[in-house]
Amino acid sequence: MSGIKLAALTIVLVLASGLALGQNGGQNSGQNGALTPFDKLPDWTGTWTMVGDTVFDQATRVGKGNAWTPGVQEHPPYNDVYEKKYEAHIALRDAYKFPDTNNFCGIPVNYPRILNLPDAYEFVVRPDEFYIIAENGENAMRVYTDGRPLPPKEDLWGTYTGVSVGHWEGDMLVFETVGLKGDRDNDAILDRTGAVLSDAAHVTTRVRKIDDKTMQFVVTIEDPKALTKPWVVTKQFRKQKPGLFLYDYGCAENNRNPVDKATGEVLTLDPEGKPVK
Amino acid sequence: MKSLRVVLFVLLAAVPVLAHHGGAEYDAKTIVLTGTIKEFQFTNPHSWIQVDVKDETGKVVEWNVEWGSPNTLTRQGIHPSSFPVGAKGTFKIHPVKTGAPIGSFVGVKFEDGTTVGKFDAPDASQ
Repeated sequence: MSGIKLAALTIVLVLASGLALGQNGGQNSGQNGALTPFDKLPDWTGTWTMVGDTVFDQATRVGKGNAWTPGVQEHPPYNDVYEKKYEAHIALRDAYKFPDTNNFCGIPVNYPRILNLPDAYEFVVRPDEFYIIAENGENAMRVYTDGRPLPPKEDLWGTYTGVSVGHWEGDMLVFETVGLKGDRDNDAILDRTGAVLSDAAHVTTRVRKIDDKTMQFVVTIEDPKALTKPWVVTKQFRKQKPGLFLYDYGCAENNRNPVDKATGEVLTLDPEGKPVK
Repeated sequence: MKSLRVVLFVLLAAVPVLAHHGGAEYDAKTIVLTGTIKEFQFTNPHSWIQVDVKDETGKVVEWNVEWGSPNTLTRQGIHPSSFPVGAKGTFKIHPVKTGAPIGSFVGVKFEDGTTVGKFDAPDASQ
C-alpha cells in the first residue's frame, strides 16, 4: 500500500469513526463502555396518553375531581416550610387563583410535570438519547444515554426540565435529573394543586414497558430543601391505536383564559379579547 | 342569568373536565340553551363555540362555550366543520357561577336531529 493510499485510508477510518459516534462528541462510553445499539433497545414506538387525571401523585391524593377542584390535594412528604407553602397554594387554587404563571402560556412545563399532561406523548429511543415529546405545550425533554456524566453542580443554573443523563438496565431506562429551577419564580408547579419542588431536587426515574400497552415511569424525588424523605410517584401511559396524527398545541395561540396579573384571577375573554362579564 | 331561553336543569352533574389552564369556575349544574352558531374557534389551547342566544326580551346574547383542544377533539371525530356557522341547535353546557354568558360544552342537538358531544348521555346524577 502506497503512502498516499495509507493516508487516505486513515482519513476514511477517522471520519467513519466520527460518524459512528454521531452527536456524542466522542463520549460513547455507556454504562458498559459502549452505546446500546438500536436493535438492542426496547420498542417504545407509538402514541401514548397518561393514565388518570392530572393530579400528580395519585397514591396520596384526597378528594374527588381534578387537580383544580377544591378539596383535591396530595400529601407529598413536605417539611414544615414547604407544607405551609403548599397549603397556601391550595387556598389560592380553591379561590381559582393560581400560584404559577402557567396560565400566561408560552413557558415550558418542568420536570417531572412533563409526565403529568393531558393529550398525547411519544417516547423516542436512540442509542445516545431518549426523548419525551409531549403534544401538550408542546414540550420536549431529552435524556443523554451516551455515557456522559452530569455537568458539575457549579455549572447549573436551574431550568424547567433541568439536565438528565441515563443508562439502560436491560429494558429499563434509568435516568437522573438535576438543575431544576424549582419554585424560584413560582412558575414550575407539578400540577394545579400547586405542588412544587425546590431547586435542590434530584430526581431518579425508572422507565419501562410493563406490558405491551403500558409504559411506566417511577419517579423518585429527593429534595433536601423541601422533602423529609424521598417522594416516589408512579405515572403510567397507555398505548393508543396506531396511525394517530399528533398536532401542535401552542397554548398562546388563543388563550382566552389568561390570569389577571393584578388580581390573580382567571379571566375569560371574548373573541375580541375583552373580558366577558 | 342574562339569557332566558335557557332552561335550567339543575343536575348534580360531574364537574366539567375542561379548565386545566385554570379556566373559568364552571358550575356542576347543566343548563340548556337554544341558539345559532356564530363562530367555531378550533384553536389551542381550547376550542370555543360562539352561540347567539335570544334572551326573554328578544335581545341576542353571545355565549362563549368552551370545549377541548383541537388535537384531542379531532381524534374523537370532531373537526372544524362540526359546528357550521349559522347552524341552529340546542346546547347543554355547564355555566360559570358568575352568571356571565360563558359555559363548558356538554353536547348539542342540531335541528336535523344529529348530536355532537354528550347531549344524549344520561346524567350520572339521574
